[in-house]
Amino acid sequence: MSSSIDANAKNSGNLLECRSVTKSYSGHVVLDAVDFSVRPGEVHALVGENGAGKSTLIKIVTGATLRDSGDIIYEGKVVPIQHARRDAEELGIAVIYQELSLIPGMTVAQNIFLGKEPLLKGLGLIDGKRMNAMAAELIARYDFPLKPTDLIDTISIAGRQLVEILKALSGKASIMIMDEPTSSLTKTEVELLFRIIATLKAEGISVLYISHRMEEVYALSDRVTVLRDGKLVKVLDKEDISPAEIIRLMIGHKLDETAVQHQLACKDGPVVLEVRGLTSVGKFQDLSFDLHEGEILGIGGLVGSGRTELVRALYGIDSFDTGTIRYLGKPWTPSVRASITHGIGFIPEERRLQGILATQSITRNIGIASLDHIAPRGIVKIREEDRRSVQGIELLNVKPPRPEQFVGNLSGGNQQKVVLAKWLVRDLKLIFIDEPTVGIDIGAKEEIYDHIRKLASSGVSVVLVSSDLPELTRLSDRVLVLRQGKFFKEYKECTLTGEKILRAASGILEDDNV
Amino acid sequence: MPHHVVRRLVLIGLMVVVAALITVINPVFLTSGNLLKLLQEAAQTGIIAVGFTFVMITAGIDMSIGGVVAVTSMVCINFLHYTKVPVPMLAAISLLVGATTGFINGWFITRHKLPEFIVTLATRSILMGLALVIAVKDSAGFVQNVYIQNEGYLWFGSQGAFGIYRTTFAFILLGVGAQVFLRHTRTGTNIYATGANPTAAKLSGIDTDRTTIGVYMFSGVCASIAAVFISSRMMTAMPELGIGSEMDVIASVVIGGTAFSGGTGDVWGTMLGALFLALIKNGILKTGISPWIQPIAIGGIIVITVIVDVWQKRASERRAAKAKLRRLEAEAAAAAAAVQAV
Repeated sequence: MSSSIDANAKNSGNLLECRSVTKSYSGHVVLDAVDFSVRPGEVHALVGENGAGKSTLIKIVTGATLRDSGDIIYEGKVVPIQHARRDAEELGIAVIYQELSLIPGMTVAQNIFLGKEPLLKGLGLIDGKRMNAMAAELIARYDFPLKPTDLIDTISIAGRQLVEILKALSGKASIMIMDEPTSSLTKTEVELLFRIIATLKAEGISVLYISHRMEEVYALSDRVTVLRDGKLVKVLDKEDISPAEIIRLMIGHKLDETAVQHQLACKDGPVVLEVRGLTSVGKFQDLSFDLHEGEILGIGGLVGSGRTELVRALYGIDSFDTGTIRYLGKPWTPSVRASITHGIGFIPEERRLQGILATQSITRNIGIASLDHIAPRGIVKIREEDRRSVQGIELLNVKPPRPEQFVGNLSGGNQQKVVLAKWLVRDLKLIFIDEPTVGIDIGAKEEIYDHIRKLASSGVSVVLVSSDLPELTRLSDRVLVLRQGKFFKEYKECTLTGEKILRAASGILEDDNV
Repeated sequence: MPHHVVRRLVLIGLMVVVAALITVINPVFLTSGNLLKLLQEAAQTGIIAVGFTFVMITAGIDMSIGGVVAVTSMVCINFLHYTKVPVPMLAAISLLVGATTGFINGWFITRHKLPEFIVTLATRSILMGLALVIAVKDSAGFVQNVYIQNEGYLWFGSQGAFGIYRTTFAFILLGVGAQVFLRHTRTGTNIYATGANPTAAKLSGIDTDRTTIGVYMFSGVCASIAAVFISSRMMTAMPELGIGSEMDVIASVVIGGTAFSGGTGDVWGTMLGALFLALIKNGILKTGISPWIQPIAIGGIIVITVIVDVWQKRASERRAAKAKLRRLEAEAAAAAAAVQAV
């Protein structure tokens, strides 16, 4: 069988070819018989929403994860299932990670040749001069603005990315995979990266490019592969690529969910929170908005656009640099303690890390934000704590309804209910909710949506941050889209679809003004 | 000037000022006899601290060093008391104590993924007990104080050229060698990489487990070397020797600029740190301040150093964020100007 594959592979002319690659995690299929190919010397973009299976596919190609089934053919040879990270490197598959993997405190040259430093004959000492010369040669070949002796700490993020690229090029590289390479670069830095990609292409190196940003995909790619829900949707050739088409394919025909239009309706109750010119250097700039009573304000945008940073600053976890906030008509300086005592709640994005005390009971988890009532003089009133716990469990239908249960043993959905209950047993006026339903099954999701809606109709104002587009469109009364730390677009009193939000988050302005 | 250079110059300046102050109060400080002793004190702590620096660069910690000193010195005493083993061979045997302990520490940390602190604290306790068990006892079972008379062994702790203690020479030799190793060999690079970013190190093909085991072995060996010099100088040893030296060692390394978070630091800093600490301790004695102040001063110095380093780091991060904002603004302005021009 493998010989016939070899024969086919040679004919196809592809550098890398995946045939019906399948992968599932504990019964949940994340890649479903995906076909995928990269030609020699092409720039190929891989796009899809969060959870579409992009990273899993990349992990399989680079040997970070093993596939369940399917064939991978590289340079005409079948890649065995037991394909490890090191094997991939030897094949010439290089990866530039989103999380930069350089060693701070070392020079550019030291990083490029880490683990393969040239040695002086005999002594076993590193030949620093030769290493720097080799690095200088590489840098000159690609005309990068770097010096071999620069310390990593002193160069910009973009410069570090260049070092990563050089590190990959110093070995054998016939395909370079870039995972969200531009997420933290400035415009000139992005232009430099584009030039480099062109150079790589000219040298015959294929570039596999993963990005959320449509304009980049549009400007760069020879071909685009669109994934959705672990399945291949379509492969677009150069002449068929257009941002609008790609977004349409990414979101697809999930009619029941995204394409359904949601009528936004402004609430014009009294203003609860008034934010003017809020700036936190390097995170977000000059943000202004009003939040009305009983309103659900959705904040959309890509990961890293400053959404989480904004709500953290408003709740008082991180400080900000300039700007003013008024809460219930009075000037307000956020601090976590003041927020809690004045009826402001916060549900953080990383439930396991920031939301729950996994080794503590449901009762303790619910009580932790109400210690002012439960333990006014420092000693916990067990009966009051129990009363609130039972109240919270009933209110949110936590399963199992056993107050002494450790929260770490609950399902994701029930954990999130406990986090919500913690605030619902308090007298709440405003709540910040960051990614409430990540990793939660559909049933519990609906329940949580109901509770958020009920909260709002009882007069509580909600600021909802979410990457889940249907969630954002279905729940919000108004949506602000953040892009690179600034409000890019506001949607109110209109019909809203997930597609519109994704367009705005990707930096595409609407032609039709709705 | 890079931050760590400034830091080092400040430390040297501070040492000059402190030394001047002590001299004003008690001129005896500046006699050659006292200075030689001060250097010898610094060397005793410093030899252990060199190995400890390697461990801290990999983001680890080795609490077992005091125990290694105790057991090594007890092993030496036993051999000197009961046998006629030649001194060079005895020196080799003593190094084996540290190497073995280090290997066991490293093995548990890497193979069983146990926390460094817990593993080495446990070995410390085991070694402390072991030192008592193997100590030379009298007929009533009490620990017997054995005086070392072996001339060859006493050579280590004695004075050499210019009256400088051989311990000091050993410290300088070890320090310079370790620094060259750290900066100019692949293994040295691997040590930094393992501490700074273990994932990146592994992706670059570095065997971080072997590196880790190696640094704990080196740390143990350094502690054993120190044990030989200390017991030789004291002409005796007790099972408690070295217990509590962890604090001085940690202080030397931290003052020297090696961070607990790993990936940074060097042996030069540690050597300066050991000297600074010996200076402070000597000063406390020479100025007539109660010696009970010593541990308080050492603890205080560690805290102050760490606070200053954290401040410094925050300030530089903030500067970087501001610089980025300026770049972004400049670009936005340029883009606006371009639009205007059209």
